[in-house]
Amino acid sequence: MRHELRGTCAALVAVGLLLTACGSASPADDPSAGDSTVDGTEADDAGQADTATTPDPADWDAIVDVAEGATVNLHMWGGSTEINAFVDDFYAPRLADDHDITLNRVPLADTADAVSTVLSELDAGRTDDGAIDLIWINGENFATLDDADALLRGWAPSLPNAGLVDWDDPAIAFDAGRPVDGAESPWGSAQFQFVYDEARTDPAELPRSYAELADYIVANPGRVTYPSPPAFHGTRFIKQWFYELSGGPDPWLDGFDEDAYEDASAELWDVLDGLREDLWQGGETYPNDIADLDRLFANGEVDLTFTQLPAGIDAQIDAGVFPPTARPYVFDTGTIGDSHYLAIPANASSPEAAMVVANLALEPDLQVAKLDPANGWGDGIVIEPDRLAEDQRETLEQIEASLGDTAVDQQELAEATLPEVIGEYTNALDRDWDRYVRQQQPRG
Amino acid sequence: MTAGLTTISHRDRLRATIRNDRVRPWLLLAPTLAVVGVLFGGALVNAAIRSVRPVRGAGSTGLTLDAYRSLLADPELPRSLLLTLYLATTSTLVAVVVGISAALLLRRAAGRSRAVAAVFQLPLPIPHVVGALAVLALLGQSGLLSRVAGATGVIDEAASFPSLVFDPWAIGILVEYAWKEVPFIGIVALAILRSSRVRDHEAAARSLGAGTVQRLRHVSLPLVLPGVLAAAAIVFAFTFGAFEVPLLLGRSFPEALPVLAYRRHVDVDLASGPEALALSLLMALVAFACVAVAMVLTRRRVRVG
Repeated sequence: MRHELRGTCAALVAVGLLLTACGSASPADDPSAGDSTVDGTEADDAGQADTATTPDPADWDAIVDVAEGATVNLHMWGGSTEINAFVDDFYAPRLADDHDITLNRVPLADTADAVSTVLSELDAGRTDDGAIDLIWINGENFATLDDADALLRGWAPSLPNAGLVDWDDPAIAFDAGRPVDGAESPWGSAQFQFVYDEARTDPAELPRSYAELADYIVANPGRVTYPSPPAFHGTRFIKQWFYELSGGPDPWLDGFDEDAYEDASAELWDVLDGLREDLWQGGETYPNDIADLDRLFANGEVDLTFTQLPAGIDAQIDAGVFPPTARPYVFDTGTIGDSHYLAIPANASSPEAAMVVANLALEPDLQVAKLDPANGWGDGIVIEPDRLAEDQRETLEQIEASLGDTAVDQQELAEATLPEVIGEYTNALDRDWDRYVRQQQPRG
Repeated sequence: MTAGLTTISHRDRLRATIRNDRVRPWLLLAPTLAVVGVLFGGALVNAAIRSVRPVRGAGSTGLTLDAYRSLLADPELPRSLLLTLYLATTSTLVAVVVGISAALLLRRAAGRSRAVAAVFQLPLPIPHVVGALAVLALLGQSGLLSRVAGATGVIDEAASFPSLVFDPWAIGILVEYAWKEVPFIGIVALAILRSSRVRDHEAAARSLGAGTVQRLRHVSLPLVLPGVLAAAAIVFAFTFGAFEVPLLLGRSFPEALPVLAYRRHVDVDLASGPEALALSLLMALVAFACVAVAMVLTRRRVRVG
């Protein structure tokens, strides 16, 4: 026994020594990225070199030359089989054929994973040759990387296909109230919609505003829930509720006003508090994300789920995610619509090839194909129809006209669009939801 | 000439050192220790450094304990710690008790034992995520059991089926861990029970007139326990640090420590990064302390018993 103990101690000491060795080695080969101002020239030089090597898409031939043969690591939320398949089937082959570019789609559970990867790399001093070349991104995740100065800027409006985009449209030029500053190239547009099952719920009974939804929840206990913020759809869901209670989105579109927010949000927490017991599982637990909520909806545990697809839910019905009788609709009080983008981290290994991918994503035929639910996605376009060639515009109109009752009428959808608030309000709503709803902390 | 002699004597001394019983085990262990030290220890040290470094763009340059401060100020932390300890302790106890019992029974089913043992081991190669989804499909309110209960008229609607997942007692999580860890402990116990050492001792006890219960208490269990306890430490450490099962089957509040760490890791707020690492280190510390204490306590008892 005693002998054994001595052996164990010796082993611990040995491991300890090894750890110490690692510990003293690490900071040396790990120049701190945070303190460039104090640390002096070396870090500054690295910063300058970085800017100098930002490729300029204005000289597109040069970009394409460098991009040839490269691999693009596209990190994107991977929760939708249909979207994944669209990227693999429509982008990857054309990139391989036209530019010898390998598109490596890296599926993420949450886009924030990519954000933390980029920030960790930059923190560790890896200012080039990063693991990520392109991120599918918007909103808070963009704001975080933008704040950390972790994205290449200025390139997006110089892409050859950028001329098809209306950069004066605030829904493109601003991502959640923040100027995209050429650091994001638009990819698609989306709008929050509710989904119900025609076979189970009479459309006449459906709530058409959050006020009616509150009544519906009380009348149908246990039949409604939403993904827990900061999961994307959950945040959207409570944000729209916040809009309705505070008289609309207008006060929250620029300039963070803490006091106004505190006053207005108090009512939201009161309302959610009052409804808690009538939510699914008594409001004691929430689905992690939209996939969880979709499953509850498909199993008949809840009456409502959400979608972001402007061209409807045909693809999800085909894939069996939703029953054939599922139908999307929007509240009379409107729902939030916005754009989503592609961004290149400042330390991307192949920024040129990433630009080629971002440019390809704006090709008219691929934008239209992406909208067509027959191809699996049904995502909104970000290019201007009147800047398209005649035949392309006709295809677009045909697809829009052919969307059946698994899509909300495109005109109705456009009229119901509400803008997205600035990121500070989103973060505040997420934070307070976590405190007052999830943790049920008392409010001071 | 002289140089040659010195070399030989150096070599001899080196050989003698290598053959030395005290040094030799360490030399043989060196590759393993190096791997563990660099990969595991290196990651820990890296995490420790990054947990005290200010976040990007915060303006300060020195080291800071802010992450630990705000972590300890979080009212969810103590509840989360209790939940995680409850999950790990309960799962480990269930796995040990059921695992050893199953091994004893399996050993008896002599003829069919190979087939039965194979079925028993089936969950081992299946990933926890798959197990968690299976539990969800079985025990959820719209799961198989609920549907059977509904079809047979035991319950009227899905909502009246008792919450076995997302429930306050984390039954869904415990069921998943039992499904996966009972075979793990069982297979270790079975291997020991089948060894000739155990069989010889049991035969000797029987020839001396010991009954079934006496043999179990004084011969089989004391021989099985040390090995099983080592496996139990692995089960405890795993269930304490595992993330996917509590995420899929757990309640929104309080969340298990690993889920809490993950949420901080992916939080859009940059300040949450160091907190995630601080929390991970805290988890490593608690798990290590628990296993160490349990080892010391049980080793003493097993020796005495």
